Formats: sequence, C-alpha cells, structure tokens
Amino acid sequence: MREKAQGIPAASFGRGSITLVAVLLLVLAPVSIADGQAIEYERPVETAPQENDIGGGYVTPQVQKPRPRDFWLQVLDVALLAAALALSVWTVVTRRSRKGLVALSIGCLVYFGFYREGCVCPVGSIQNVVVALTDSKYSIPIVVTATFFLPLLVAVFFGRAFCGGVCALGAIQELVVWKPIQVPQRLERTLGLLKYVYLGLAIWFAVQPAISRDFLICRFDPFVGLFRRTGFPHMLMIGGGFLLAGLFIGRPYCRYLCPYGGLLEWCTRLAKRGVTITPAKELECGLCIESCPYAAIEQRRAVRRKCLYCARCYASCPHEGPLARAKAGLVTVSPPG
Amino acid sequence: MSEKPTRRDVLGTAARATVLAGLGGAAAFLVKKAQGQVVWQIDASKCVNSRLGEVGVEVCTRCTTDCVVSLSAVRAVNEYSRCGRCAICPAYFNITSAVDERGLPSEKRCPRDAIERKPIGDIDPEDPANNYFEYVIDEEKCDGCGKCVMGCKEPLGLGSIVLRVRYNLCVDCNRCAISTACPKDALFQMPVEEALKAVEIERHA
Repeated sequence: MREKAQGIPAASFGRGSITLVAVLLLVLAPVSIADGQAIEYERPVETAPQENDIGGGYVTPQVQKPRPRDFWLQVLDVALLAAALALSVWTVVTRRSRKGLVALSIGCLVYFGFYREGCVCPVGSIQNVVVALTDSKYSIPIVVTATFFLPLLVAVFFGRAFCGGVCALGAIQELVVWKPIQVPQRLERTLGLLKYVYLGLAIWFAVQPAISRDFLICRFDPFVGLFRRTGFPHMLMIGGGFLLAGLFIGRPYCRYLCPYGGLLEWCTRLAKRGVTITPAKELECGLCIESCPYAAIEQRRAVRRKCLYCARCYASCPHEGPLARAKAGLVTVSPPG
Repeated sequence: MSEKPTRRDVLGTAARATVLAGLGGAAAFLVKKAQGQVVWQIDASKCVNSRLGEVGVEVCTRCTTDCVVSLSAVRAVNEYSRCGRCAICPAYFNITSAVDERGLPSEKRCPRDAIERKPIGDIDPEDPANNYFEYVIDEEKCDGCGKCVMGCKEPLGLGSIVLRVRYNLCVDCNRCAISTACPKDALFQMPVEEALKAVEIERHA
C-alpha cells in the first residue's frame, strides 16, 4: 500500500484527495449543510504521507520513548539496602545508639519510602520469589532476588536488622510511636499469628495461573499510597488508620500483619548475635521492659524474634547510652550483690 | 570462649548451615532463571481502543481509572510515521458534531484538550483544508482515556495513535492495577526493548 502511494509523483495525488474533501467542504458546506449538521466524513488518505510526500524539508518528529530506570540505578538500590542493613547492625548491636537508629530510619524512609516510593521492598518481593519458584514461565530480575534474600541472610546472623531503620514501612511507624500501651501477652500472641495467615493467603493468590494471579501484599500495602502521595482513597485511609493506631500500639503492621516479618522471625531464631540485655551489667530496674513498645523483652531478656531493632531499651538503660554518659563521673552504678 | 562447644552450639551451627544452604540454593535457582528487566506494556492488538474490527463499541477508560498514578502512567502516543496528518482528523475532531463557520467539526474529541493541531508548512488561504497537519499530544495534559485512540482506528483513521505505558510515569507496580482491570488482558510484563518498540497492530480474526 505504502509503495503504491510513494510511486505517485511528487506529493500531488496524496493531496488530491484532501483537496477533494476541502472543495466539498468549502463549496458544499455553506450551501447544503445546514447549521447543526455534521460533515460526511471520509478518510482522505489510504496510507500515511512520508517525508518526501510532504516535501518542503519536512522531517518526521521523533516519538519520545522514555526509558525505565537504568539497571545500574537498580543495582545502586540494592547496594544501599545492603549498606543500610550493615549500618543498622552496627548502630544497634555495636554502638547501641537510639539516636543513630532514628537517623537511619529517617534516611531510609526518605530514600526507600518517599524517593523510591516504597518499591525496593523485600516484603512485596515474597510474591515474586514464590511465583518465580513455581511458574516456569515467570522469572525475576537479579536485583529482586537480592532484595528478597539480603535481609533474611542478615537475620540468620544478627536478627531483624531490616525491621529497625531499613524497612520504609517499619520506619514510618517507628517514627510515630508516641504513647505505646503494653498489649496483653495472650492477645499479642494471637494477633501475631495473623501474619502467617496473611503470608499463606499471599502465597496462595500469587501461585494462581498468570491470568487470575494477584499480589495481595502490594495491593493492600497500607503505606505505599502515602509514599507516592497518591493512591486509592480506601488504602490511604487504611494507611492513616495504621499510623493513628501506631501512636498507641507500637508498629501494628510489623507485629501483626507483615508476612516478611514472619519469615524474619524464623531466620532470627538462629541468630547468635543481636540486641542483648547484658546480664553482667544489669540493674534489674526493669526500665528496658517499660521502654519496649513491642513486647520484645520478657523476664528482662530480649526476645530476638520479636525485637524490631529500635534500640529504645539501650536509650532507657542507666548503664547505656545518654543516661550513662550524663552520669559518668558523678555516680558509679554497680550491679547488685 | 575456648571451651568445648556444647550440644546446643553444634545444633545451632548445623541449623544455620542448613538454612543458609536452602536460601542460597533458592537464590541460585532464581538467578540462573533471571532474564533481565521486564516492564509493563500494552499490546495494542488486544486493547479494545486500538484493536481492529471493534467498531461502534464504547471507549474503554480503565487505563485512566485504574492506574495508581494520578492522571495514569498511560498516555496516548501518536506514532508520527503512521499518521495520515489529515486536515480533519477523526481523533482530534468529533466528526459527528455540527460543522462550525470554518467548515470544521465544532467539537474536539479530547476531553482535556491535550492534542495540538499544527499546520505543516504554509496554509493556502484559499484552500486551508488542502494541507497536512501535525497532531501533537501534550503528555502533561493527556490522561490516557483512549478516546482519540478509538477515533484514530481504521477505517476512520490510520491507527497511528495508541495507548502506551510511559516509563517516566510508571512506578512499576509488582502487579499492575490496570492489568488486573483490563477487560482484554492487554497488559503484559515484557523485556524493556520489546516494550519500547514501535507498535504494529495485528489483525485479529
């Protein structure tokens, strides 16, 4: 078709049919088409006129094709995730610094949350990994694999360093904890099981055939709408609801719903290091228990699988952090006995 | 700690080694299977608005209504090399609307007035319709509603305007919200290079 059009001499015939319509319009329109009537439309060309049909030095404009985020930037995201995990371990386990942890939380919230819009997300990657493991036609990029496994790997050695300060979903809740109440232990345990139900459901919906597959964790991510500053009204409201509840119940999504938290709990059971209430230096004052909003200190010992690496216990301890430094040189506190 | 490791230590190390081997194995499997970056894109041969043979059907606006990005990450894109550059463009004008004093349809199709109609070269004042026009879509205004796409479809137009996912806007959701809403399952994840290619609309039987 196109060859035929180009075989016609110098842009005359292609225009001929346009002229025809034009003549029809100019001559007939005022006469035969009364006001309020439409033209009788007929397409004036059979094929698209090309540069030489149009002539006059016309150049066909380029169609803009914006490219997705570059690969090296995605690798940078993973590198930053690894760096943030290392920093979380160092700040909490080695430095025992709540201030450092808050700074890290803000940094990760800004980068992974508001800048990357919540989408360097090990939590959601559960689904991709499950589908890639079960569907032979589905594969995931290496960066997604790394995003999924890095926090688990760290958890096997140091516990839930990802939850403290690195995870954007966690960080936004961490920063709104205001007057946390202690949830009764039995209720805490029961609610804690919800995340495994959610994990099971998420896997079930993800392993469906491609057409009916659904990614529940992403669809019902309560905070991603806040990060993107746009989203479905009901999800924004649920996100706001979680933050509001989070003023009084520390990090409700992390403790009761986060499916990735469930996986991290399992890995953390193997961890040798992590947050420790040091018996040798202990005062038995119980301040750390009161300071923990996540019920992760039982019988004055840190329960690592529940510990979200917030370092509040260190900040509250007369033997650690700012309190100890303020007292240094004034009083010597020694363990009883 | 130079003491002899306890049973607990040994079991712990064994468990850790097992879990690490499991995680490592799964990761290795996934890495071996990896195929590079994939992105969401619309198959114009399936999309109701551009698919040939679907004439007289309602324009589907799910790309506008269901995308999580405000104003949608989908835009109508005019593939200039296939555009007829008609004086009366059925995608630009509502050709069923009444003719105005210029002899042109009085209504535009785009509800957001996102298409600009620019004459190519000089206009002959005696015969203004005997001219080619460039139709440029303002992507700041377009929300991907697909009305112009439907208007441009053959046989009215040449099908040069299609809906495309724009990667400067798309946030690459894990499970694209439009893909789950699309009545024709026209959204897929595909390799980047394929997703950026120019569109060829296949004729479905």
